[in-house]
Amino acid sequence: MTELMSFMPPLPVLAGQLLIGLINGSFYALLSLGLAIIFGLLQIVNFAHGAQYMMGALCSYVLLTWLGVGYWPALILAPLIVGSFGVVLERVFIRHLYHLHHMYGMLLTFGFALVIEGCVRQRMGSSGNTYPVPSALAGGWKLAFTYLPAYRLWVIGISLTVCLATWYLIEKTRLGSVLRAATERPDLTRSFGINVPKLVMLTYGFGVALAALAGTMAAPIYSINAQMGSEIIIVVFAVVVIGGMGSIKGAIISGFGLGIAEGLTKTFYPQASTTIVFVIMVLVLLLRPAGLFGTSEQQAPNSSLSGDVSLDFMNVAVRRTLVAVSIAAGLAAPFVVYPVFGMKVLCFALFASAFNLLLGFGGLMSFGHAAFYGTASYVAAYTVKTMGFDPMFGILAAMTVVGMMGLAFGYLAIRRHGIYFAMVTLALAQMVYFFAVQAPFTHNDEGIQGVPRGHLFGLINLENQLTMYYFVFAIVLLGLITIWRIVNSPFGYVLKSVRENEARAISLGYDTDRCKLLAFVLSAVLAAVAGALDALVFQLASLTNVHWSMSGHALLMSILGGVGTLSGPILGAIIVAGMENYLASLGSWVNIVHGMIFIGCVMVFRRGIVGEIAFRLGARRSVSRSRREPAAASGAIAASLSSQP
Amino acid sequence: MNANILETRGLSKSFGGFYAVRGVNLRVRSGTIHALIGPNGAGKTTVFNLLTKFLQPTQGEIRYDGYDITLRKPSHVARMGMVRSFQISAIFPHLTVRDNLRVALQRRLGTTFHFWRSGRMLDQLDDRADELLSSVGLSDVSNEVAMNLPYGRRRALEIATTLSLDPKLLLLDEPMSGLGREDIGVVSNLIRQVNQTHTVLMVEHNLSVVAELSDAITVMARGRVLAEGSYADISKNPEVRTAYIGSAHA
Ligand SMILES: Nc1ncnc2c1ncn2[C@@H]1O[C@H](COP(=O)(O)OP(=O)(O)OP(=O)(O)O)[C@@H](O)[C@H]1O
Ligand SMILES: [Mg+2]
Repeated sequence: MTELMSFMPPLPVLAGQLLIGLINGSFYALLSLGLAIIFGLLQIVNFAHGAQYMMGALCSYVLLTWLGVGYWPALILAPLIVGSFGVVLERVFIRHLYHLHHMYGMLLTFGFALVIEGCVRQRMGSSGNTYPVPSALAGGWKLAFTYLPAYRLWVIGISLTVCLATWYLIEKTRLGSVLRAATERPDLTRSFGINVPKLVMLTYGFGVALAALAGTMAAPIYSINAQMGSEIIIVVFAVVVIGGMGSIKGAIISGFGLGIAEGLTKTFYPQASTTIVFVIMVLVLLLRPAGLFGTSEQQAPNSSLSGDVSLDFMNVAVRRTLVAVSIAAGLAAPFVVYPVFGMKVLCFALFASAFNLLLGFGGLMSFGHAAFYGTASYVAAYTVKTMGFDPMFGILAAMTVVGMMGLAFGYLAIRRHGIYFAMVTLALAQMVYFFAVQAPFTHNDEGIQGVPRGHLFGLINLENQLTMYYFVFAIVLLGLITIWRIVNSPFGYVLKSVRENEARAISLGYDTDRCKLLAFVLSAVLAAVAGALDALVFQLASLTNVHWSMSGHALLMSILGGVGTLSGPILGAIIVAGMENYLASLGSWVNIVHGMIFIGCVMVFRRGIVGEIAFRLGARRSVSRSRREPAAASGAIAASLSSQP
Repeated sequence: MNANILETRGLSKSFGGFYAVRGVNLRVRSGTIHALIGPNGAGKTTVFNLLTKFLQPTQGEIRYDGYDITLRKPSHVARMGMVRSFQISAIFPHLTVRDNLRVALQRRLGTTFHFWRSGRMLDQLDDRADELLSSVGLSDVSNEVAMNLPYGRRRALEIATTLSLDPKLLLLDEPMSGLGREDIGVVSNLIRQVNQTHTVLMVEHNLSVVAELSDAITVMARGRVLAEGSYADISKNPEVRTAYIGSAHA
């Protein structure tokens, strides 16, 4: 096909790419519309949207090829089935989160996405399937300059119709005004006798059904596979950041517009076609941070994801002993476990702790730390292998490059708050991923192999497994001490206050944007140390380290261990690395387990392991203390006001 | 000293075509307690957001302490000594009561970005923090995590934090909301005490508090200034009466 095209004049190429652009745009529009509707009413970013799109495709495939249902019924049935599945998710899980920070919804649905994708991969493998275009829509028209397949026109037509109908429903009808009222004042709307929970449930179902519809229509064009959802959802997040989530119209226009922009790029500069949407996102963030259709800038959210978990209930001696025991265990580890495994745990521990510096102490949830970890791996591998750097200088080079990258990414990302921050970082990291896929020096799927560990400062031979272990151990320990110091520094206190209440910190005179930027850069540089060590340990820098699932790992380790604690991410790293090691033979089960951990942590276990232990012990302590000093307050304001709102 | 510490001209803010604040000329004299009142949705909080630069005005200009601050950053305005409180009490919930104050006091040290130094250096602020805490009666809970305080004491903590910056002008958004009668007395006294050395601009729905405390009052309704003057002038004004009767607050 492409060889054929290159012989033709450019007009057909252009027309063909425009058509593909419009098709992609249709899917972007349907998906971002669904996200916008769900976000509008539930205040939740539905991370499972991509997985639900994939389910739509899969569901219609099953209906068509296994059950022999025709295309037309399937077009209705698949969205209905997947939409009902969405309703179940909302009833069983999501509705318990409405009173919590937005981030929890995003994490929960991220867990759904992992589980769904893992299950599908487990069942079908990652190779693709497809089903034929229905006979009524086969064929097409030959125009003077291009060929117009009927099915593609149909897809564009249906998407446009559905989008416009939805827009009309929400902006112009009574149902729409009820929806909007429920978004703004759920309490008032309820008092008018409207069943808000039911409305919320159906809205989620509808948004999910839109995703499934897109999937159903995409199936004959693209191949159906487990990862089709996660690939598209990241682009859709960028679309949403560009368009502004607040606006239905914005979602539709930017969806189609960016599809076309992608098509045009494919014609004129194909290398950039995968990244153009992200580049546009960067430009929009620079010029119009609220998004093209975003109205008023949202105020910074006030509630934080997790509080500082205080471990003061342990006296200093106990804490010192625990730290000493951990260090001793770390020193003894290579005699008990396989040293490479130990080193992996160490790399992960530093990575998760660096990530947690930002999330737990700065309140900033980055979904893009894979970019820092992976880039550092590449830089270290390249400088050490190709340029013959000393391993230590390889690490320093990685820190420098990633530090600058962190500065640039941070500068862009802190222009948005909360969930948008997460989406921006995810999109920026995906840009880095695509760069890594295309750049020659990364060697694509093979990665940079055979990275020599070399001699530290030309003296100490790191090819020796034990020596290498202690080298990694020393660097990681230094990194962790640095994090501990940052958290307890004057800057650390300011950072915590920004996390707790950004508006208040501003009104105290702090330039909170600069604080967040510094935290972001510090976190990136520390993650870079971990990534560079990873490359030296495994003597390999590959796409795995820069893939979004690595960002998911950082999140998983922190949340599982305990966000906002210093020891939590380390514990999380031991568990996650252990699982990866021992469950490796189980294939996609690892993903499913990860997803379930996310779901479990969000639903019942929000403090993480260390946080939960600290809370239990701390609660017992404060109960016993208040028994000793009953209602301490005397003679001051409102000793009488004991109830909290 | 009777100069105006704060003056706005034609201050307006529109949210997508809807004017929440329109053509407000406000003058706050140095050393006074100035009250900004009006029914719900009148635009009072929006005026506060504009003055402290949390929102950028659509039109108009703001002069504070002799400078045009219309284009300044919010943190800069705060450093110039105009410090606000929030309608919903604004504290750092997971920090201890003393740390809430230390964070506020810390800014003057110029160590905001010192991430390599030990937090011990902040111990030098403890004396001042404890002094402020005792002035609002919170000494006994200085090591308590702030979110465990009852509502009234959180308000007191917020005021102490604001005072710790030694501001020239305090903006208080409904300092009495959610307080019981005793606490209203305590906070009233606190405001009066603060006023000996600071200028206060406050939004307040409790009219008896306004009557008792304020030297001057500005009444807003639907984004505009309806009337200005002393409490006696205002309460006679027929327009003000209709505006209030038309709303939930009588
Ligand atoms: N960010 C915003 N976007 C859109 N409209 C807003 C925004 N902030 C305030 N408004 C609107 O501006 C009007 C004035 O609101 P404001 O909060 O200033 O009132 P207020 O006088 O403080 O009321 P209250 O006494 O209830 O606190 C209201 O109608 C409100 O809905
Ligand atoms: Mg208000």
